[in-house]
Amino acid sequence: MPSEEKGKRSRLRLIIGAVTAFVLVPLFIFLGMTVWNDRKYYIVSLIIIALSMVPFALRFEKKRQTARELVVLAAMIAIGVAGRAAFYMLPQVKPIVAITIITGIAFGCESGFIAGAMIAFVSNFLFIQGPWTPWQMEALGLMGFFAGLIFHRKDGRIPRLIPLLVYGALGTFIIYGFIVDTSTVFTVYSSEVTWKLALSTYAAGVPMNLVNAGATVVFLLLLARPMLKKLNRVRVKYGILEE
Amino acid sequence: MRKDAFGQTHPAVELFFFLAVMLITAFVLHPAVTGISLAAACAYNVYLRGRKALLFTLCFVLPFILLIAVLNPLFNHAGVTVLFYLHNGNAVTLEAVLYGIVSACMFAALISWCSCLNAVMSSDKYVCLFGRAIPVLSLLFSMVLRFVPRFTARIGLVSAAQKSTCPEMGKSPVKALKHGVSVLSFTTSWALESSVVMADSMKSRGYGLPGRTSYSIYRFDSRDAVLAALLAAFCVVSIAAMVSKRICFRFYPSIKYSSFGALSAAGYAAFALLCLLPLLLDILENVRWHSIRSKI
Amino acid sequence: MAFYKIEDLTFTYPNCASPALSNVSFEAREGDFLLLIGRSGCGKSTLLRHMKTSLAPHGNMTGRVLINGRPLGETSERDQAMKIGFVFQHPDDQIVTDKVWHELAFGLESIGADTKTMRIKIAEMASYFGLDEVFYKNVSELSGGQKQLLNLASVMALSPEVLIMDEPTSQLDPIAASEFLSTVKKLNTELGITVIISEHRLEEAMPLADRVLVLDEGRLVCEGKPRQVAGKLCRSNSPLAGAMPTAARIFCGIGAEGLPALTVNEGRRLLNSLGLEKKLLPSAERKARDEAPAIKAEGLMFRYEKDGDDVLKGLDVSLHSGEIYGLVGGNGAGKSTLLKLLSGAAVPYRGRLTVGAEKLKGRFSAFEKRIGCLYQDPRTLFSKDTVWEDLESAAFNRDPATAKARIDEAVRLMDIESCLSKHPFDLSGGEQQRAAAAKVLLTEPNILLLDEPTKGMDASIKEVFGEKLRKLAEKGIAILLVSHDIEFCAEYADTVGFMFDGRIDSENAAREFFCENVFYTTAANRIARDVYKNALLEKEVTALALGGER
Repeated sequence: MPSEEKGKRSRLRLIIGAVTAFVLVPLFIFLGMTVWNDRKYYIVSLIIIALSMVPFALRFEKKRQTARELVVLAAMIAIGVAGRAAFYMLPQVKPIVAITIITGIAFGCESGFIAGAMIAFVSNFLFIQGPWTPWQMEALGLMGFFAGLIFHRKDGRIPRLIPLLVYGALGTFIIYGFIVDTSTVFTVYSSEVTWKLALSTYAAGVPMNLVNAGATVVFLLLLARPMLKKLNRVRVKYGILEE
Repeated sequence: MRKDAFGQTHPAVELFFFLAVMLITAFVLHPAVTGISLAAACAYNVYLRGRKALLFTLCFVLPFILLIAVLNPLFNHAGVTVLFYLHNGNAVTLEAVLYGIVSACMFAALISWCSCLNAVMSSDKYVCLFGRAIPVLSLLFSMVLRFVPRFTARIGLVSAAQKSTCPEMGKSPVKALKHGVSVLSFTTSWALESSVVMADSMKSRGYGLPGRTSYSIYRFDSRDAVLAALLAAFCVVSIAAMVSKRICFRFYPSIKYSSFGALSAAGYAAFALLCLLPLLLDILENVRWHSIRSKI
Repeated sequence: MAFYKIEDLTFTYPNCASPALSNVSFEAREGDFLLLIGRSGCGKSTLLRHMKTSLAPHGNMTGRVLINGRPLGETSERDQAMKIGFVFQHPDDQIVTDKVWHELAFGLESIGADTKTMRIKIAEMASYFGLDEVFYKNVSELSGGQKQLLNLASVMALSPEVLIMDEPTSQLDPIAASEFLSTVKKLNTELGITVIISEHRLEEAMPLADRVLVLDEGRLVCEGKPRQVAGKLCRSNSPLAGAMPTAARIFCGIGAEGLPALTVNEGRRLLNSLGLEKKLLPSAERKARDEAPAIKAEGLMFRYEKDGDDVLKGLDVSLHSGEIYGLVGGNGAGKSTLLKLLSGAAVPYRGRLTVGAEKLKGRFSAFEKRIGCLYQDPRTLFSKDTVWEDLESAAFNRDPATAKARIDEAVRLMDIESCLSKHPFDLSGGEQQRAAAAKVLLTEPNILLLDEPTKGMDASIKEVFGEKLRKLAEKGIAILLVSHDIEFCAEYADTVGFMFDGRIDSENAAREFFCENVFYTTAANRIARDVYKNALLEKEVTALALGGER
């Protein structure tokens, strides 16, 4: 009985988290754009992002994780951050999104969100921090969250490649690209956002987003299977990630 | 990076400062306020990072401000003071030009403040601030920072080892990509396996026991309290001036700004002092140091 | 109070037919310094891990582990975390956080100590272990020795009563290793902390121990005071005999009676007291070096940063086919940097590099120039699921047609038939090193660069590896052996160079090189130098003393 109740409660928390992230956040953005006169988008959206991260952070803190789970998660996050060093010859492609997706698949949606947000935060901490940091955290976090939601299986089954690649491409282009471009709109044009300006910014972002989506697809194609296999091996050998 | 007096204060004071300055900067679009913020941010950044920051300011921040100043009026035609008409019939207005410049300055100020934030706030300060509220995430952050330099070095090592067992990668991007992917794959194998020892070492030192506490090397002393009080006072005065519309600037449809009065003067002064606080603290410290030395 | 009693411990890993430990019983009294020895894979780590519940491996266990007279399981996790300190082998793997101070605090945080207690403890640890200078630093800036001291200090912060250590010095250079061991000894004598340590650096560790336990294939085969154990093992034909301190081996080798000597000093006194006739070994002819060198470096200058210091300052070196060149020298002398340059991973800003007849400019591909590199950590070379797949990928890169035959040959040469179907990370250290060597060999190098290949190997594995290197040299490969392991270089290198301050200042045939040095020479040479000036190895000394021809 208690375990069932625990399961119910954790499901409830998941739902609360999801509602905050996917209903409240867009709602606030919409409200901010149309109803509020002051139109301080930057601040409003910052608050929203902070809000959306709270449930994930709390759930992550509450979950009693073993040392092994935590260490392997930290290792994957660090791979996501340090991964760029392996591609020093190709400065514009970074495996960040692909690694976030892979981590989400292996660890489930919450840890996927945490991993994405942490990869973005640490990258910004180590390289160049800017007003865009919270948006990047949110964007990558959501990529990891959805990857976990769609593809994570308790038995560690490796997802089929085609849906994964489709998710990688669409997710990077739509979710990641949209959020990061929105941050540009909000920070640069602060309180005078017009649809025209916003659209022109999104249009200007298309090539970069296409490159990112392409990079994600290529990295997923090359990395997803071997990396998930390695994670599965660690799971079996050391009994990590088993619930 | 220079050791500065402000960086020696308690991290809570530092975070409070950065949050206050950045939020006010982002919230209030006003030529004077934005200008003060940008000037202070650049000065502090140059003070902290030296020539590098100066180059960054000249090569990135300035061109960016100019770019936005040019772009904004091309897209935004609100405002009543028409300067001239573009050949497609759209008006370029004084308001839009000014708005572009000020908002670009705001963005530049935010970036410069972020750069200062990065120089001042080391990882242990975050751990100290959030260790109690979100202990697991703070630990995760610290662990990731422990791993990153290790993995980066490892990637270099694996890449070198790869070169002796694989044919030349050449310059072609496809081969470079393949090389990178295999290096990353090698590194991941190793990282996952060796991380298991770290988990054992954590368990062995009691990780997972209930009642975990969080250690901080920083102590909140009376100096920090005085600084925090000062910061709070500056914030209250400047925000009061802004909320009561004594410091206020409207761009559209026509430029309109608040008249200069006692409270607005106090507001400007308070905001300037707020932004310059770290630099003032450093100057004060230097003066004191020299006077002590000269007495010896 | 810490009082361990192991009673009849038998343990079998899941999916394993034979037990990893069988019927092991022993006692550790309060304040004991217990040394656990045995070959790699004999069950040392398994045994040590059973002494702390949170580290005990999964599997089938019978017998009992008692602490203070009570079964270990009855002691709470919290008490175990505090009372039983554990230090692992790899210094880097066990550090959890990014700052030195945070690492020292980690255990205290876990047990829920308050800030005031932590502040006192951490200050105490940092100053006792000499970490105050690096207190605020990032862990990544520390040297290997400092990292292991940090691990020891962060365990000691919990005030344990017993310290359990699993080959803590195997990844350290000799100077850092002896510093570490003497710190451990100090903790034992000054604080009365019980120490249970497994080691393969017996030259230094044996004289420190109160008692020695010998483990072989999961059985406790011998137990006693260091001298007794050394005497017994040296006089037997145990594979561990070769790992005993040189003084003890010479003592027994020349047929002396009684408890053997353990330290160099005792060995010297023994030999000098025997009134032996002074002899010299014929100096081996330095291999003919008239033919062109396989690789030649002239006047290499290198620095990492534009404004940095020179790491290499006009270095000259040449390697010849069929020759094993041992390169020794302190930390930071530039040895690893030299390897980077020779393998094309970095480019000198001045100087010339010639491979065969070809002058090299800029970055080059080590693969194209047939230069094989085996870095310190063999795991840098593995990524596939089995050793076989890894070997295959390397063999196919060179020449797919002959790949199969060459794999067979390399496997036989390196003796890794039993490892082929295993995951590379599941192999033991020695097997990994040999599998990595096999992989490099499959690229058919003419020049082989080795960086600290014997790190973490025990004596018998070293011997096997050394023999393999000889075979490779006989096949005409030029080998550069960068190592801190003087004994290994003395035994297997033909020529030895000493690197200091970015240059190789002295270079000579191995025997001449070492017998000129006072500190930088083998233990056997230090023991015997008054009588047999140029004997380097224990077997040479004993042979001379016994009057045999050599």
